[in-house]
Amino acid sequence: MKHEEKVKLAIAGGLIGLAAVVLTAFGNPGNMGFCIACFLRDTAGAMHLHNAAIVQYVRPEIIGIVLGSFALGVIRKDFKPRGGSSPVLRFVIGFIVMLGALVFLGCPLRMVLRLAGGDLNALVALFGFIAGIGVGCIFLSNGFSLGKAEKESSTEGVAFPALTVLLFILFMAVPSLFLFSETGPGSMHAPVALALLAGLAVGAAAERTRLCMAGGIRDIFLIKDFTLISGFIAIFAVTLIGNLITGSFHLGFTGQPVSHPMHLWNFLGMFAVGLGSVMLGGCPLRQLILAGEGSSDSAMAVFGMIAGAAFAHNFSLASTAEKGPGVNGKVALVAAIVILLAIATIVTMKKRREG
Amino acid sequence: MASDDIKVATFVSHYGAMMFRKRVGNGAELKPVPRSLSSSCGTAVFFSSPFSEDFADENTEAVYEKDGDEWRLVWKR
Repeated sequence: MKHEEKVKLAIAGGLIGLAAVVLTAFGNPGNMGFCIACFLRDTAGAMHLHNAAIVQYVRPEIIGIVLGSFALGVIRKDFKPRGGSSPVLRFVIGFIVMLGALVFLGCPLRMVLRLAGGDLNALVALFGFIAGIGVGCIFLSNGFSLGKAEKESSTEGVAFPALTVLLFILFMAVPSLFLFSETGPGSMHAPVALALLAGLAVGAAAERTRLCMAGGIRDIFLIKDFTLISGFIAIFAVTLIGNLITGSFHLGFTGQPVSHPMHLWNFLGMFAVGLGSVMLGGCPLRQLILAGEGSSDSAMAVFGMIAGAAFAHNFSLASTAEKGPGVNGKVALVAAIVILLAIATIVTMKKRREG
Repeated sequence: MASDDIKVATFVSHYGAMMFRKRVGNGAELKPVPRSLSSSCGTAVFFSSPFSEDFADENTEAVYEKDGDEWRLVWKR
């Protein structure tokens, strides 16, 4: 059974890697075939939530991922509306995960894609991600939990996927409502139909296999299980091969697409993402998948990420390519990590006292 | 161990799984929740000793027993 799950995860990971290479070849920014944080940020910008002109575009990949998960969830009876597990804390943690990702310039999925493109800054970030997950596992082993999710109405469960459908209809029917970057990463995108199809395929595959960039490393720490990590490895392997074939592999720290070589901040950015993802029960990709399956808690985490993206750009907290974070971003990230650790400590102590 | 002796318990939290395993004792193992039982990626406890409600606490969600290729629900909170 475990072998079968590993094979399915490897296929799903391979599909994501392949989709990333194809989307990049058809117009997405370098090493950004998929990036949940960047694409939520671009979508937030397109909806006038932030004013960074170079990162504004409604990314159909995000809509596809949610709807792919929703559709397969309904077909396979995994669609189960549920919620009420610390929604405000999830919003805050989602916000911080986005801040960490935008200091590094990528979510865990893009970290793997950057690594497969030869960007060694992503290796530094991977160490930070692993460290964050390790610290999160210490809290989990000592009682940390955001609480049990309860059953909710199907209306509540359908609300988030329905919002993504509404966004897509408006994007297609009334594009003048949205902002479109004319330069920078937001101006670089694959054709809408291809991006939507790739998102649908990735959403369905990730729903079926439970693929999670943080979960694989968490399971190694907690239960010495290597099943989930096989998806992570497959994404890396397929993207690496794709980049070698297309001539997109460039080993080094500098001159990498949408990247900066500030090691400490790459490490700390992904430390926050790793810790926050463990607290949320999954990486940003997994939050989209769970929101598609009817989890209003994960939808809250996604809303937190969207708000985090808007704040990160409106208050100059996000890094810029090559230069890294400014003073605002550095102060905000350190404060955010302190807040994450405080939440984890308080929740853990409270659970231990109750238990 | 005959396959029909295998049971699996699911939980609200990883800590709940750790405590359950401690109460079951020898032979209980922490593993990922089987995909056929849940689309969540939490921790489950696999064990073969007879299930007692004393093993469960407020963090325990359900206990299933292997029945051929299926999991049969034997206890739910």
